[in-house]
Amino acid sequence: MGFLVFGVVLSSSVLGVLHLNNKLDSVMFYVAVRILLYDKARSLITLIGVIFAVGLIFNQLGIFLGLMETSSVIIDNTPGDIWITSKNSKNFDFAQPFPEYTRHLVLADNGVQWAEKLIVAWGIINQKEGGTEQLEVVGFNVDTGVGGPWEMKEGSTDLLRNGNFAIIDESAMARLGNISVGEYRDVFSRRLQIVGICKGVKSFTTAPVMYMSFPLAQKLVNYLPSESTVFIIVKVAPGVPVKGVANRLRGLLKGNDVYTKSEFSFKTRYYWAVETGVGFSFLLTIVISFLVGILIVGQTIYNSTMEHIKEFGTLKAMGADNADIYKIIISQAMINALIGYVVSLIITFLTVGLYDAIGMVLSVSWWVNLFVLLLTVCMCIIAAFISIRRIKKIDPAILFRG
Amino acid sequence: MTDALVTRELCKVYQEGSIQVTAVQPCSVKLSAGEVIGLFGPSGSGKTTLLSILGCILRPTSGELSVFGQEVSQLNENQLPEIRRKYISFIFQAFNLFPALTAFENILLGLRIKGVVGSEAEDRTAKMLQEVGLGHRMHFLPRDMSGGQKQRVAVARALAADCPIILADEPTGNLDISNGRKVMELLKELASEKQCCVVVATHDNRIEDIFDRIVYMEDGFIRRIKRSNA
Repeated sequence: MGFLVFGVVLSSSVLGVLHLNNKLDSVMFYVAVRILLYDKARSLITLIGVIFAVGLIFNQLGIFLGLMETSSVIIDNTPGDIWITSKNSKNFDFAQPFPEYTRHLVLADNGVQWAEKLIVAWGIINQKEGGTEQLEVVGFNVDTGVGGPWEMKEGSTDLLRNGNFAIIDESAMARLGNISVGEYRDVFSRRLQIVGICKGVKSFTTAPVMYMSFPLAQKLVNYLPSESTVFIIVKVAPGVPVKGVANRLRGLLKGNDVYTKSEFSFKTRYYWAVETGVGFSFLLTIVISFLVGILIVGQTIYNSTMEHIKEFGTLKAMGADNADIYKIIISQAMINALIGYVVSLIITFLTVGLYDAIGMVLSVSWWVNLFVLLLTVCMCIIAAFISIRRIKKIDPAILFRG
Repeated sequence: MTDALVTRELCKVYQEGSIQVTAVQPCSVKLSAGEVIGLFGPSGSGKTTLLSILGCILRPTSGELSVFGQEVSQLNENQLPEIRRKYISFIFQAFNLFPALTAFENILLGLRIKGVVGSEAEDRTAKMLQEVGLGHRMHFLPRDMSGGQKQRVAVARALAADCPIILADEPTGNLDISNGRKVMELLKELASEKQCCVVVATHDNRIEDIFDRIVYMEDGFIRRIKRSNA
């Protein structure tokens, strides 16, 4: 009912400032609003159609962008300018190990301020009630914190030193049940004590993310060769161009791939969005929502136009230009677009929390909102053109039919 | 008398597939200001087509039409609205009122399109509604009015614009005899008072006496024109 009230309030305020004695443009807008308010059932159906279509676009786009953000969240929140991976690693989540001595080769470059090793691997955690769950293990240098959690909810990363300790992201609780600091969990058949809960770390696959020290991860992840790492993160010295260092490292490390931070973030997002087909699937849903929106709005506005065709013809007979009548149709479409958009936006904002509760991210940034607004306006204007074509071809004979 | 509408060999041909249908055979008539002309004829005789051409909402296939001396048959779609705004008002059998607008707003909208604005438009609307006996129904929607009342609103809309030509299609078609006569008398009065040219397409023989001249059409031809006996 909220959007109905909103629509009525908006229309009333519009009617309050408009009057048939205003400029002819405003007059046509006034007539459009009066027609919408008069055909309440039809207007409501159109509005619901717009809300569904736009809501679906918002959700699909928001989930997709949320997944993309999630897929590269660790890269984006880790300090450093360059990521070194094994040759042909597809993305952040499925990179292969390579010898850790590579770090020394990297440090030999004059433009490198520091280089840190990072392990990202897949592991198994035992559930409390029995059974297992897959999880993503991140092993980082606790002394520098590079690659570690960037926001702690409870505990501290310092506690990871010297022992079988781990930190887990709060989002893991959706999969693993309630976890509190101090409790023990079996990972790779090794009992680890949870010493902290961090925030904001999610993986694209929704697998829980667990942090531990680099040496512990190296020891626990049984498929890693000894003395190997999965990534080397490089910080370039102040004033040294990142691209230049990256190019030198590319020349030096023949068995590795070298990316700037933004390149690796993009590569990871690109992998999930394009190479897995996930992006296409979301794009398809967005396109279908857009087309369904055009059909719903187009059909209802067309029906309304046909129902008022004699009145529109009469306006032409009285001397109105086609453009004047188009203004009525376009105004109807725009009113539906804007009210539908605002209601969908409110609903989308309200559902952000719901998505969060199930461990997903719904991204609703300003540019997404602007993009969806433009899409909604396009959708309704295209829909209006079906009626405009009809108005253009009004047969004068219809005016004279009884 | 000033010539309001003059046609010279005016003709309208429709192309229906491969067949050409002549709706109005070449006709030449002069309709003067202050005259009330009845356009009689059976269905399909070409009355409505002729009325549409005279009203500049349909362009003739050939021939000429001038409105108050201005040749309009060669004007394009973008130029015709100006002629309609300036010279022509319509009254339709089906009233063609906006159901979402009140009687007052329907008339005011017509005036706005004709370029009348401000308090003049509102005053004229109110006055016209009073004149057609609907002062008490000003703010009623068409759905809350009888057929006769709706037709009076449509008449008021046409008259309020103060156009020198009024074209009416079966204006009494949806009215009882008494209301129909009242509407026609109103039009007759206006024609005489404001020197309007009123052209009425109708089947209603009961109002023949209202007209100054009667044009009989059949199969697209003007068969005869006679002066009324009244």
